[in-house]
Amino acid sequence: MKFWTTSIGTGKLRGMPSALANGYDSWIADAKDAERLGFDGYGAPEHHFMYDGFMPFPLQALAAVAAETTKIRLMTGAMLLPLYDPMAAAEAAATLDVLSNGRVTLGLGMGYRPMEFDGLGTAKKTRGARLSEAMEVVRLASSEKRFSYEGKHYQYSDVALHPEPVQKPIDMWFCGGTSLLGARRSGQAGFGYWLANSPYEHTAAIIEEYRRFGREAGVPEEKLRIAAFKDVCMGETIEEAQGMRQVLIDGFYEEHILGYGYLVDENGEHVYNPPKNHPMYQRFVDSLYCGTPEMVVEELKRYEALGVEAVFVPSPQRELLAERVFPEFR
Amino acid sequence: MRVGLSWDLGGDAGAVETWPGVLAEIAQADAMGFESVWVQEGREAADACSSPALFLTWVARKTKSLQLRVAGRGVTRGDAVRTAEELAVLDNFARGRAGLAFASATRQQAEPALVHETVEMVSAAWSMDEFRYRGDHVRFPSHTGDDAPRGASELPPSKEYVPQWEWGPIMPDFLAITPKPYSTRPPLYVEIEDDATLEWAARAGIAPFVPAEVPTGRAVERLVRYREVADAAGRRRDEVDATLERRLVLDGEDDACALGGSSEALVIAIREIRGRTGISHVVWRRGTAAGADLYRFASEVQPMLQS
Repeated sequence: MKFWTTSIGTGKLRGMPSALANGYDSWIADAKDAERLGFDGYGAPEHHFMYDGFMPFPLQALAAVAAETTKIRLMTGAMLLPLYDPMAAAEAAATLDVLSNGRVTLGLGMGYRPMEFDGLGTAKKTRGARLSEAMEVVRLASSEKRFSYEGKHYQYSDVALHPEPVQKPIDMWFCGGTSLLGARRSGQAGFGYWLANSPYEHTAAIIEEYRRFGREAGVPEEKLRIAAFKDVCMGETIEEAQGMRQVLIDGFYEEHILGYGYLVDENGEHVYNPPKNHPMYQRFVDSLYCGTPEMVVEELKRYEALGVEAVFVPSPQRELLAERVFPEFR
Repeated sequence: MRVGLSWDLGGDAGAVETWPGVLAEIAQADAMGFESVWVQEGREAADACSSPALFLTWVARKTKSLQLRVAGRGVTRGDAVRTAEELAVLDNFARGRAGLAFASATRQQAEPALVHETVEMVSAAWSMDEFRYRGDHVRFPSHTGDDAPRGASELPPSKEYVPQWEWGPIMPDFLAITPKPYSTRPPLYVEIEDDATLEWAARAGIAPFVPAEVPTGRAVERLVRYREVADAAGRRRDEVDATLERRLVLDGEDDACALGGSSEALVIAIREIRGRTGISHVVWRRGTAAGADLYRFASEVQPMLQS
C-alpha cells in the first residue's frame, strides 16, 4: 500500500496565526519531511476566494515542492477540474511533469462550493459531466502528439499539448467523493477512483459498484485502481486518538469542509454546518478512524484487502505513521 | 537601469531537452547579479512554456534575488481571476519578486478593451477585499449585472461580520480574490503594440513592455509615444518600469531586432535608447543553447548599464 499525505500551510488556520508566506515555507518543509519519512506522495488541494488565503492552484504550489524534493510524487487532491479550461489544466500538469521529471499525479474532483463556480465564471450544474470530459481531454492531450475531441462540453480539433509531459499519459485519479454516481462514471471511463473518507461498509459498496461498471464497460482489470482519503487518528489509547480526531475536526474540518456544503444528504441536498446530532455529521465523524497504531494497521489491511492501493492520510502524526504503520505494509 | 534575461522557447526540441539549460542559466543569472528573468507564455513550439507562473514558482525556490516576470500573458481564455491568483501565489513563494506583463491585444487578436479590463481586474484583485467588477468583457463574480457601476466597486461597509464558513449556499455579489500578493503591488506591464493600449497604459500608469520581436526602430517609436502620452497625462517617468527586450549580440552585428557590437558599443546603444525613451529595464533575449557569453556580459556590459 502506498501512503500519500499533505499538511496545513496552504492557508491560515484560525488559532495558528502566521504570515502566509511563512505558511508556504512550512508546507514545503513538511513535503521534504514526508519524503524523508518515506511517504509516496504529497498533495495540494484547491479552493478559491477563501478568507484565509487558501492556495487556489495546486499544481503551482507543487512546483515549489518539486524544486525542493527529488522522489516524492506531487499530487493534487483534489484539483477542481471543471473550474479550468481542460487544455490549460493539461498544460500546467505537463509543465510540472517536466520540471519534476515525471512525478505528477492528478487527483481530479468536481468541486461543490457555489461561489467558486460563480467567481470563475463556469456552471456548477454540469460539473460532473464536465469532469469526465475534461479528464478525457487531459488523458488524450498528455498521451497523443496531436488529438481531436468532440464532447458535449469541450471540443478540440487537431491540437497539441506543449510542453509534452514526461509521463504519457499523466497519472490521473477521479476524486468522486463518496457518491455511487462518481464511481460509475469513473469505472466506465477507466479512471482510477479515489474515494473520500467513508465508513468501511460504504467504501466496500462504492468499490464494488466502481468495479462492476468498469468490467461492464470492458475496462481491463489492471486499470481499475482504487485509492482513498483515510484520516486515521492514532493514540496509545482510543481516547487519545479521539483527541487527535477532535483536533482535526476543530482545526480544519468544521471551518473548511462542513461550513461549505461538502456533505450531501440522502436527497442529494448539500448540508451546511450540520448540527452535531445530524446523521450526516455523525457518519462523517465516524469515517475519521481512531485507534492505536496496531488498530490502524488492522483497519488499513481491511482496506488493502478491498483493493485500495493507496491511502491519503493526514499529517499531524507523520512520524508515528512512518514508525509504527509503514513497516507492516512494506 | 535594470538588466534581465529571457529565452527563446520556440524550438522543435522538447522541453525536457531545452528547459534544463534555461534553468541552469537562471541559476547563473541569480549568482551573477542579473535583476530579472522573463518567461514568455507560449503554446506553439515543442519547448514553449504554457504555464510561466508555475515555471517561475519552481524558479522562485531555486533563486534568491532575481525578479520573476511572467511575460506575454494572454487574456482570451477569460481567466482574469486565475491570473490574479497565480501571480499572488508566485509572489508569496518568491517573497515579493513577482511581476506580470500582458501580451498585446494585436498579438492575441483580441479587443484592446479586454486587455485593459483584465489588467484593471487583476490590479483590483490584488488591492481590494470583497469587490465586484463590471466591464464589457470581464465580469466578476460572473453574475454581476448591468446595474453595477463600471469597473471595480467594493462591498459597502457593514456593522455586521459573518464569517465565510457561515454564509451557507449563497453566491455573494462581492468576493475577495485570495491570496493577496506578498508585496503591496507587484509590477504590471503591457505590450503597447496597438495605439488604444499604448494610450490607455500611459494614462493609467501601467508600464510598457516591448518584446524582442518588435524591430528596434518601431520599439523606440512606441516607447517615445508612450512617454509623450504619459507626460501629457501628468504621469511621472519614475512611476513605471518601462522595459525593452532585445536580442544582444556581443561582437556581432545589428539587425532589425538585435543590437550588436563590442561590450562598449552595446552599452552606448542601450544608453542611447534609454535617453530617448526613458526605459528603466533592458531584457536580453537569449537562445536556449547556453552560451559562454553570459559571464562576459555580466562582467563587462551589465555593470555599465546598472551604474
